[in-house]
Amino acid sequence: MTEHVEPLFLRPLLPLANETDAERTCEVALPRIAAAGGRASVVHVIEKAGGAPDKASVEQREAVADRVFDICRRATDEAGIDLHTDLRFDTDVGDSILAAADDIDATAIVFTPRGGRSWWDLFSGAVRKRLVRDSDRPVVVLPAPDADATADEERET
Amino acid sequence: MTDEELAKDLGPLAALTIGVGTMIGAGIFVLPQQAYSIAGPAVALSFVVGGVVSIFTALSASELGTAMPKAGGSYYYVNHALGPLFGSIAGMGNWMGLAFASAFYVIGFGDFLASVVSIPAIQLGVLSLSSVQVGAFIAGLLFIGINYVGAKETGALQVVIVLLLVAILTVFSVLGFLQADLSTLRPFAPSELGGYGAVLPGTALVFVSFLGFAKITTVAEEIKNPGRNLPLAVVGSVLIVTTMYAILMVVMAAVKPWQALAADGADPVVEVAQLSFEAALGLGGVGAGLIIFGGLLATASSANASILASSRINFAMGRDKLITPWLNEIHPRFATPYRSTAVTGLIILFLIGIGDIKILAKAGSALHLIVYGLLNLALIVMRESDAPEYEPEFTVPLYPITPILGAVFSFGLIRFLEPIEIALSFGFVGFGVLWYLVYARGKTEKRGILSKYVLSRSDAMPDAAVSAASTVQPDGGYRVMVPLANPESEHDLVSLGGAVAKAHGGTLVGIHIVQVPDQTALESAREEYDFSEADQLLEQARLDADELGVDIETHTVLSHRSFEEVFDAAESYGADLVVMGWGTDSHGAPGRAESAFEEMSRTLPYDVLVLKDRGFDPSSVLVPTAGGPDSDLSASIASVLREFCGAEVTLLHVADETQEGEAFLRKWADDHGLGDAELTVETGDVETAIENHADDASLLVIGATERGLLSRLVRGTLVMDVIDDVGCSVLLAERSRTRSLRERLFG
Repeated sequence: MTEHVEPLFLRPLLPLANETDAERTCEVALPRIAAAGGRASVVHVIEKAGGAPDKASVEQREAVADRVFDICRRATDEAGIDLHTDLRFDTDVGDSILAAADDIDATAIVFTPRGGRSWWDLFSGAVRKRLVRDSDRPVVVLPAPDADATADEERET
Repeated sequence: MTDEELAKDLGPLAALTIGVGTMIGAGIFVLPQQAYSIAGPAVALSFVVGGVVSIFTALSASELGTAMPKAGGSYYYVNHALGPLFGSIAGMGNWMGLAFASAFYVIGFGDFLASVVSIPAIQLGVLSLSSVQVGAFIAGLLFIGINYVGAKETGALQVVIVLLLVAILTVFSVLGFLQADLSTLRPFAPSELGGYGAVLPGTALVFVSFLGFAKITTVAEEIKNPGRNLPLAVVGSVLIVTTMYAILMVVMAAVKPWQALAADGADPVVEVAQLSFEAALGLGGVGAGLIIFGGLLATASSANASILASSRINFAMGRDKLITPWLNEIHPRFATPYRSTAVTGLIILFLIGIGDIKILAKAGSALHLIVYGLLNLALIVMRESDAPEYEPEFTVPLYPITPILGAVFSFGLIRFLEPIEIALSFGFVGFGVLWYLVYARGKTEKRGILSKYVLSRSDAMPDAAVSAASTVQPDGGYRVMVPLANPESEHDLVSLGGAVAKAHGGTLVGIHIVQVPDQTALESAREEYDFSEADQLLEQARLDADELGVDIETHTVLSHRSFEEVFDAAESYGADLVVMGWGTDSHGAPGRAESAFEEMSRTLPYDVLVLKDRGFDPSSVLVPTAGGPDSDLSASIASVLREFCGAEVTLLHVADETQEGEAFLRKWADDHGLGDAELTVETGDVETAIENHADDASLLVIGATERGLLSRLVRGTLVMDVIDDVGCSVLLAERSRTRSLRERLFG
């Protein structure tokens, strides 16, 4: 008996942190999704402090989410792919992404590395680690479209 | 749980601790020495007066907060109600007030830090920093850094810190009370300080201790069940800290004579703690240590909450275009408003250089008092203007007495500051005004409820008020809004709107309204709906506008309503002219909310053009006129079409007598810059004449001779055979007006 295996890019979930992330991830992921005849699901998580004031206004973060989803909508329209967007509020970004993947029974969680110096991981590397370690579905890391340029840019900022 | 509930995760205790945590830092740990030196033991009354002044404003802030739970708090209410001029004053005042207050808290922190570890003083050329300032500088950098990177753990710590502080101060006052000797309190109001006359100047100094309650409203959007929890937290925090302050000030002065507490270099809280812990438990060192520890926590949490609140105010100001959006970018990695935090941080570090905590405290108070006064006025405006969207869940008791007293007390307390501090606060008001006139006026489109109210009742208001209200209106350029419903009419509407926008050097605003069924929340519709059609429509509009060389901005508007939303959108995008199509499928089925149209037709704040589109072709334009204000609009549209679309304009006047009619039309044409147009005068039936001439025309422009044309059009009760009988496109023009109903009936 053989298990039925679905293509990785049939129903992938793309967790997107910001506008740049959305642009880069769409650029590299959408051709693969189109090739598999798949559908794109994107999730943006607004991190909540859980009972304390947030780092930034919720409305301010929702505006970022709008822009992220707009970028995806344009990119998927162009590529002729169906898009599903999911805006979540959670105290744990990693948890929330995993839950989003469960909800749509994602075939993979797909992201591009955001570069950066390693000490910054102290603040934001936890999500990546969480996904790689705790996901019960495939996690695909796609190289950023222009990996060298990305590294340079990160170094400058 | 819905997303809405997840986004709102501040419970009543968390909200309360924002207020208590900010307020408890300053008054009790930093200011007592200066406070006693002003009013002696009677300074306890100064705190009570401060609490009374605050409670009125706290009630007003609660009502406004439950009606408008939006990020930005006080600033937002003032801007919304009183308009962007006062919004600029309140926004800048609130922002700078927070910076002054933060510098004050941080210096307090530095003071406690310097008493624990030895910090060197620094002498750099002309810049000399005491060891307290150096400590403050380091602490300031640390707090700013925490907010820049955004550690969510600091927020969760707040509750713990506040509970700890309340516990420490409760133990402190109980032990102090055991050592108290009431005779030490006499005279309660020392005559050498001016007796009870020193109470109010005392309040002016210690008012900085009350600046926390309004910060709760800056995060109102995150509070669970704001209708209940917001007033509870705002009013509750004022009551709690006023009681604590008053008790502590009396107890301290009963343990040690006020002269000793007020002596230069004295540290009353630490000294009294040492005395009472020693006498009660034999643990003097522990008492002093606890108070120093408490002082560090308290000043740190106050500074932290203030820096956080200031970025919310920046965001709210940016949302209303009163400051550059650059400031409100979210950091791609930390998801924090990092630029706003950094700029506020630089201002705080600069203010630390001033170093005098009295000046910082009072400047911070003065700026907040101005904001509080305006906030109370905002409440009165909201109530009096009877805005339909204003539905507070909590209402102030004894209206209008409460907000009036709140405003009088807030502005009144400014009088008890030193002249230099008053001058400084007026300087900031001047700066806010200047900021509005120089920077914000050309950018912001939002108008205050007050000016709408004054302008919409211009006959009943004194002329001075009306002209004042209209001269400070935001100008934001001439804006032509085009509601786009379907691809067929898009090109025609954009061409027409674009021509007018170009003629005025203005901007085109393309909007597409997506109607959402009542049972679907707008937020979830925003996530789930497919917007590809809307995006295509607006994209096409952008392309068409580019071709015309006109600036365009486009918006997709989600609404439970369709047609009616056009008028709301026109208000919120600050339209000067709305160009809309009229057809069977243009904007859904109108007619549900007639009252909205009644309102609208009474005070139409912008010009409207309605195009009955049979193929937009401006080559040959027919303008029938009988004079009157609405034909002015037809005339100016005709001249725009002539200039930008190469239209040939024919004017038609139907008169009883040809000669008289010709004279009238000649003059009218000259008056409206259409002297070289073709003039035609007819006698007989008006409609027949128009229909006959329309046969040769490609576009008929009709001024709405009847008031309320639009609302009748909307309700489908408008019967104008002409529009249906002619073969060409028809443009109906209705001018904006701010005249009253009475004037329209009789004037």
